[in-house]
Amino acid sequence: MERIKTGMNITEVLKTVRGTEGYFITNTARDLSQSDFKNRILLHTDLLAAKTRENANYFSLEITGGASVHVDILRKQVDPFLKLELLRERMPNTMFQTLCRGVNLFGYRPYPQNVIRLTVREFAKYVDVWRVFDFMNHIPNMVAVFEEVQKAGKILEPCICFSTGPEHTDAFYVSKVKELLDVTGDEIVLCIKNHGGLGTPTRIGQLVKAIMDQYPDMVIHYHGHNTDGNDIGRITAAVKNGAKIVDAADHAFTGYYGPPPILSVIQDLRGDGFEPAGVDEKAVIETSEVLRSEREHYEYFESQFKGFSPTVQIHKLPGGAMGSSFEQAVKGDFLDKMPEILHEELPKVQIELGNYWSVTPGSQILWTTAVNNVLGGDRYGNPTGDLKNLLLGKYGPFPFYQPPDWIYEKVFGADWRKVLETEGGMDDIEDMDIDKERAALTKRLGSDPTEQQLVIYLQHPNDAAEFYKFEEKFGQVYVLPPSIFLRRGGFKLGQTLKFKDHDGKEHVIEIGPKEKSEDGEWNIYLNVDHHERVYLFKEKQAAGAVQEVQLSREEIADLAKAGDIRAPFNANVSEISVEIGQKVKPGDRLVIVEAMKMQTPIESVVSGTVEKISAELGKPAKPGDKIMKITLDSN
Amino acid sequence: MNEQRGVSLQKKILVANRGEIAIRIIRAIQELGYGAVGVYETPDNDALHIRVADEAIWLGDGPRCDYLNIDKIIQAAKKAGAAAIHPGYGFLAENPGLAKACEEAGIIFIGPSAEVIQNLGDKVTAREIMKQANIPMTPGTPNLSPGEAGVQEAVDFAKQYGYPIMLKATAGGGGRGIRRVDSEAQLRGEVQVARAEAKAAFNNDNIFLEKVVLTPKHIEVQIIADKDGRTVHLGSRDCSIQRRNQKLVEIAPALIKDRKLVDEICETAVRAAKAANYFNAGTVEFLVDKEMNYYFMEINTRIQVEHTVTEMVTGIDIVRTQIKLAMGKKLSFTQDDIQIRGFAIEMRINAEDPQNNFMPEGGKTVVVYRSPGGYGVRLDGFVYQGYTIPEVYDSLLVKLTVHGFSWNETVDRLRRCLKNYVIVGPKTTIPFYLTLVQDPDFKAGDFDTSFLETHPHLLDYEEQGSEVNKLARLIAEIHYEKQNSYAI
Repeated sequence: MERIKTGMNITEVLKTVRGTEGYFITNTARDLSQSDFKNRILLHTDLLAAKTRENANYFSLEITGGASVHVDILRKQVDPFLKLELLRERMPNTMFQTLCRGVNLFGYRPYPQNVIRLTVREFAKYVDVWRVFDFMNHIPNMVAVFEEVQKAGKILEPCICFSTGPEHTDAFYVSKVKELLDVTGDEIVLCIKNHGGLGTPTRIGQLVKAIMDQYPDMVIHYHGHNTDGNDIGRITAAVKNGAKIVDAADHAFTGYYGPPPILSVIQDLRGDGFEPAGVDEKAVIETSEVLRSEREHYEYFESQFKGFSPTVQIHKLPGGAMGSSFEQAVKGDFLDKMPEILHEELPKVQIELGNYWSVTPGSQILWTTAVNNVLGGDRYGNPTGDLKNLLLGKYGPFPFYQPPDWIYEKVFGADWRKVLETEGGMDDIEDMDIDKERAALTKRLGSDPTEQQLVIYLQHPNDAAEFYKFEEKFGQVYVLPPSIFLRRGGFKLGQTLKFKDHDGKEHVIEIGPKEKSEDGEWNIYLNVDHHERVYLFKEKQAAGAVQEVQLSREEIADLAKAGDIRAPFNANVSEISVEIGQKVKPGDRLVIVEAMKMQTPIESVVSGTVEKISAELGKPAKPGDKIMKITLDSN
Repeated sequence: MNEQRGVSLQKKILVANRGEIAIRIIRAIQELGYGAVGVYETPDNDALHIRVADEAIWLGDGPRCDYLNIDKIIQAAKKAGAAAIHPGYGFLAENPGLAKACEEAGIIFIGPSAEVIQNLGDKVTAREIMKQANIPMTPGTPNLSPGEAGVQEAVDFAKQYGYPIMLKATAGGGGRGIRRVDSEAQLRGEVQVARAEAKAAFNNDNIFLEKVVLTPKHIEVQIIADKDGRTVHLGSRDCSIQRRNQKLVEIAPALIKDRKLVDEICETAVRAAKAANYFNAGTVEFLVDKEMNYYFMEINTRIQVEHTVTEMVTGIDIVRTQIKLAMGKKLSFTQDDIQIRGFAIEMRINAEDPQNNFMPEGGKTVVVYRSPGGYGVRLDGFVYQGYTIPEVYDSLLVKLTVHGFSWNETVDRLRRCLKNYVIVGPKTTIPFYLTLVQDPDFKAGDFDTSFLETHPHLLDYEEQGSEVNKLARLIAEIHYEKQNSYAI
């Protein structure tokens, strides 16, 4: 059997897969990292596993895309392109796979055509398999990506997102497949994207069969999550009914919300007489041996709750959003409300909002709405900007039915029909002036950016600029192992840290004493490769010196009535919409804050003049932090 | 305690200075078997010179005023029973008042007489003396007349010789009190400003003009004379690499191919010293232009920072000789005894940030200090690990002097020493020097006083720029913050 390897075009891939007995496996490392480790698995760890993963002969390695591009620059401080380059050096044959959110790319809202095309072109230099989806299963949202992937000669793998409920019939999905093929042509790998791990094995088997009956030559790639602990059952049912490629992950790192272990899948299917095509099981086992000792360093990023969550069949949150939802509940101190949110409110909101597919960015809208509904007490009384956009059809038409009128009325007021009429429907997003953006980035960096830097910047301007400055200051930190980079707590005096840099040269850093100087600076002594160095840090304000008064929602609302605008929750300020001296009236947008990938505009509730702006663009704000001051009109 | 060292303390010498030069002098005093008396102001409580001295006398809270207080110095010498005072360089070294006060108090002043200091310190008088001795000089004026008349004299002079010209404070020195003027309009404006500045800086508002020698080499000659007028030169030095008239790198001997010319300059220096009735050690400074014309500039009536390079190539301990001559001894060597052997380079390692306009790093603590050593290496410093650099004095930490048989060997040794240095805490001039010693023009010995202006790229070095240091900074931050704020 010929292995699937880089450089094969779609025709060769399809021919090989169709002509091979058994099934293929994609190592879904990215989705594992996102679902069970909040996307924090470092490049250092992936590099450790590179050799054995390469030897394992997978159909592909999903290693980029989804939220990972953003988290790479925001938290892991690694260049998403450099990451691919370094992995490619060590894995010359394995196809790299990405997960692309169609028009939303690797972000959370629609991008202009020219940005989409530029981004796909740049990433296609490294990425062989393009899994593309749209949370509304709205095919036009994916067309630009499809075209660029095909132009680049890469493997196109469009998805139909899967969910459960009376509307989610085989007939519906088969018709969606037809719609897809009409756009892409026959030469695709079709992904059944079961991001929640929903449905029974039987249900998945039926769906695969229904598609295969209609399109007997179809190469189906089943993607699922093990949130309920039963994805192996679904995988097996998919393969038995004709799926040729399935997703799983290295068992040393498998958790509760991501893909199931590769070996377990192999063993289960073996019982039914199916063999994984070309997979070297020894290399699969070796990978986990290499990785096992690394897992402890990621403990902090694992879910607060251990154990499978079979109630996913009720709340339908995608595996990739489970960990962050619990994290948000802990940080927002509403853990006690979680049963109500997950098992009562969220299913209700799902149905009310059209029973579309709970996956990014649609899943965040459902989740945030459910949380706001429960915490705010007033259902749909505190709509986010993204919910409004959803209702206005900005993401695409509702697949089965419109949400009821009362929700529109609640969100847009009595005139909602007029609002819907004038503002409803998908916007033609104007092309971005890329040269202007490039100039802006040049100014922020102080030097000419590369095309790759520009691509990342176009999607996440503030975070990208901060990251490139970080890189300048701290260098290529991907060489640091998680035991150092993800360290919580200081190091021990005399502790020796060893790591190899990107040239493979070993470095030794010994932790020396900390000492406070007379002017309040802290001197941190390190012995860096046998040379003593000292690093100075300014003493931070003592805890308590900063007023850590937590304001309640009511207090924040009251202050807003007095023109004292405060941050409503932990958020980044993503837009400041007014200037000092500007007149504002109730309903005028003052700032947009962004939290949990959702943008929320803060609007004025008063008439007055902007006197002072305390918020800083791109900077985080805690609940109660001053955003701006408005002097009320004296009447 | 000093008895325990088995040293006769019949004679003590007071060192009226601080820093590396105080230590340099104390070493010579101690080698001669005398007792060394140090003095200090309060900010120098932790300074090394008072630790190596046999005894130390506190002058006052300073800063800089007590080291400059002649009465206090004389009182300290009397209190300690010092027979002589060595002024070092800077502070009171070229103040005829100290020499005079010593004469009056019956204390030996280790240096020329008050009269010689006075005459040579006054640039105009010095020029007159040299003129009579037929020493080549740049065209210049006497002291300008006060008021408008002086301005007119200046304008007339400039018309005759052309711009640019130098406007100099008569009482200035060490690169201070000098300004370049490029046009008549500028000259008319600057005369009064220069006068006011001279008054403020030297308590003497006399100023004069000199024709500018464009991009000259700064060549100087170390001379030494006994009381009987025996005058010997110890060869030449090249101090062309300067920043705003402050010397950074000093070399012995001068790198001029025409050795006959160098000999002629040295002999001229001896004539100049004799003309001034010079006694003890001094330096005659010349400018040498592109056409290899040389012009007398001034005589410095003190030991100089860069005396070490001359010591390295001649083997003569200049400070020891100074003391012996002041004690009435005759010169123990003649001109024929002086052989120049190899090359020496001195670099002033300052606690300054060259990339920030050489901003002094005073107030910082030297956390790590590791110095180079080995063959042909000499260090004159007063820095030690744990030393906090006072903000109120100059930023010189240590002078690195290397000696080699050939110019190339000397430069190689210098580069090696600079690389061997580990100084953590303040920024220093070391990384800048490291780029300098690797510059092709420097290595070829091809430089004049415009070197820094024509080689601005020398400041483009990367401060501890290696990747591992960047990473270590992040590790230090994780350690300090107790978590990586970028990885939460």
